[in-house]
Amino acid sequence: MRFFRRLSTPRSVSRRLGRTMLAGLTVLAMVTVAACGGGSPKAAPSQDSKELTVWVDAARLPVAQAYVKEHPNVHVNVVTFDGDGNGATTLQTKIQLWNRTGSGWPDVIFSEQVNDPVWMAQKPFEFAAPLTNLIPADVLSQWPAPSTAQCTINGTQYCVQDNLAQSVLWVNKKLMTQFGYATPTTWQQWAALGTKVATEHPGYIVGNIGDSFSHWIYLWGNQCPLQQLNGDKLLINPADAHCTRVAGLLDPLIKNGAVPPLSVFTPDFARKYGGAKDKVLMMPGPSWYAQALFDQTLHIPAGQITATAPLQWESETPVTTGQVGGGPWIIAKHSHNLKGAADFVVWATTVFNPSGKDARPGYPAYAPLADPWLKGLASSGYFAADPAPALKAAAGQIWTGWNLVSYPDQPVWSNTVVNQLVSGKSLSSRLQPFGDALAQAAQASGYTVTRQ
Amino acid sequence: MPATRKRGRHAQGLLFVLPYLPFLLLFGILPMLYALYLAVTSDTGALVGIDNFTRTIRDYRFVPAFEHILIYTSVWLVSLVVLVVGLALLLHGRAGRVTSGFRFLFYIPGALAGASAVLVWLFMLDPSVSPGSSLLRLSGANLFVESIAPGRLPFVFAMIAFWTGAGGWIVVMYGALNTIPPDLEEAARIDGAGPITIALRLKLPLIRKWVAYMVILSFATGTQLFIEPQLVNEASLGLVPDTWSSNQLAYQLAFRYGDFNGAAAVSVDLIVIGLIAALIIVRRTGLFRTEE
Repeated sequence: MRFFRRLSTPRSVSRRLGRTMLAGLTVLAMVTVAACGGGSPKAAPSQDSKELTVWVDAARLPVAQAYVKEHPNVHVNVVTFDGDGNGATTLQTKIQLWNRTGSGWPDVIFSEQVNDPVWMAQKPFEFAAPLTNLIPADVLSQWPAPSTAQCTINGTQYCVQDNLAQSVLWVNKKLMTQFGYATPTTWQQWAALGTKVATEHPGYIVGNIGDSFSHWIYLWGNQCPLQQLNGDKLLINPADAHCTRVAGLLDPLIKNGAVPPLSVFTPDFARKYGGAKDKVLMMPGPSWYAQALFDQTLHIPAGQITATAPLQWESETPVTTGQVGGGPWIIAKHSHNLKGAADFVVWATTVFNPSGKDARPGYPAYAPLADPWLKGLASSGYFAADPAPALKAAAGQIWTGWNLVSYPDQPVWSNTVVNQLVSGKSLSSRLQPFGDALAQAAQASGYTVTRQ
Repeated sequence: MPATRKRGRHAQGLLFVLPYLPFLLLFGILPMLYALYLAVTSDTGALVGIDNFTRTIRDYRFVPAFEHILIYTSVWLVSLVVLVVGLALLLHGRAGRVTSGFRFLFYIPGALAGASAVLVWLFMLDPSVSPGSSLLRLSGANLFVESIAPGRLPFVFAMIAFWTGAGGWIVVMYGALNTIPPDLEEAARIDGAGPITIALRLKLPLIRKWVAYMVILSFATGTQLFIEPQLVNEASLGLVPDTWSSNQLAYQLAFRYGDFNGAAAVSVDLIVIGLIAALIIVRRTGLFRTEE
């Protein structure tokens, strides 16, 4: 790069060129590394190869490391990456490059994005291997039906979820008792309490709506049809009463500050509501909030937080809830060690379950593992009351009318709704533009969209 | 000039550009030709004419992306020309020691590689951690989300680009100013010209070609904006669209949809725009006109 810089005076040009070079070299290096470790056709032609390349995010690194420790005779090459969360294109870029070069694919990938298997199973990616022949049916059958459904694309199962990310209502029991409030069971009671909090205890919050996944908590859970597959058609209808009535319920709360349009993972949020401030009274959110958010991010003291059942809309049944995450494990169909890859995935999802501070961050999707994990959670000493009953009940209540699609909807939500909520617009007024933008994204990905 | 001497000088010139040629071919010309080939063919390799171009122009993200780039490039170029030339002229009028100190100061930010410069700015733009948070708040941004509100983005990116790129150009312009013979300045001063007149009426016209050169190259890099919006997109978890700039759109087309032909068409659009701009500037300023 220095060579280039000396040659051409204008820095900007040389820097662009340098950047391109650097990017090229990085990709080349990664491909080479992956190829050496994993599925280079020449290096490891047989299925009984002991080599295994696994791509994981930071939160799944302990699983991979534990596997390496437990299986000293398997040579595992662990690669960490950004996890592809929030609609990132990391995996798409890599897979396109591997496909074009015809080598370099890892054997196993963990993705934070629950919809990734949808595009991985289809053209032009065609990366994911069907699991039915790789993992025994009696093991696969232990995942809850909605979870299996999310991993099934065109009738074939391509992934297993690492964890379930069902939404529940998280409650600060200490504050509720202190303020003399009863825990709400319906969205209406929750909203009424939010209005009350805004006047009686301004600054305290009953939820938030500024995350890239907030629509999964409020709109998915309340059965708003924004990505509903009916045959080969995708229904995107933000004008549906299930959507507008939630928006109508939330708008006053966003305005009065009880549900701020802030992301829970911003420094602002932690400073305003976390730690010693301790101003989170309630918060609808996924199971992994348990410790990843309240304990490790917001540093809310032990003995305050617990989970209660997902909120019900008036007296409507059945009660449904949303989902935030539930990252899947995917095996590459190009793997030269399919057996080893399957063994890794089975071990990571059905065996790995350490206790204490090393505990898995999310509710295990593999049902037999959920009970011991919940027991561990209850005995961790962090919660004001055992969150297990609520989490367990909610696991089966994820609304199945929200289908996974090949395009990411999080960025669309962020840049058509969240940034407008911040500038004072109402959620009700942004629903239609959100639907329009989703429809454009869906059509660009080849879906036939119906709007009502 | 005799023909043989002229040929000899050509050979010498070739010797100077020779080390750069293989790189230009490998990383400049060949990829461009490959892009041209991809842009007029389909994924099966069949010739499709301008199909990829019409298809990508109709994409709902195409016009907004080019709009963003147009606003960004205009803001950036104007600030670059006015401030870089202005600062270089100011520097050139000062004493040697002060000048070299300031030259160094201006150049420092440019020493940061592009991506890390953006990371620095991600902190600078977040009012909760920025050392300039009071300025951000004064401008109406109390949150990171507000700092990167859609209307502000072209200016934010122009600021980042200026911060990292302008220093190098100030040094180049300073070098250009040094080529002006001191006698000229002396003569002007004897004729009664003040420092402002000298700067604007004497120095500025003499470095006109350098300014044109800077504008051409900066225009090309400006329209190719990628890393800044891409990193802000990722850091803001999607608050900024991942197809904000046209280069990002090409990237998304290639990797999200596997549409390498469409991506190539968008890239060719950018080459054409850059070439047209360069042609206009070269002709208007006589950049390559040599006095024999």
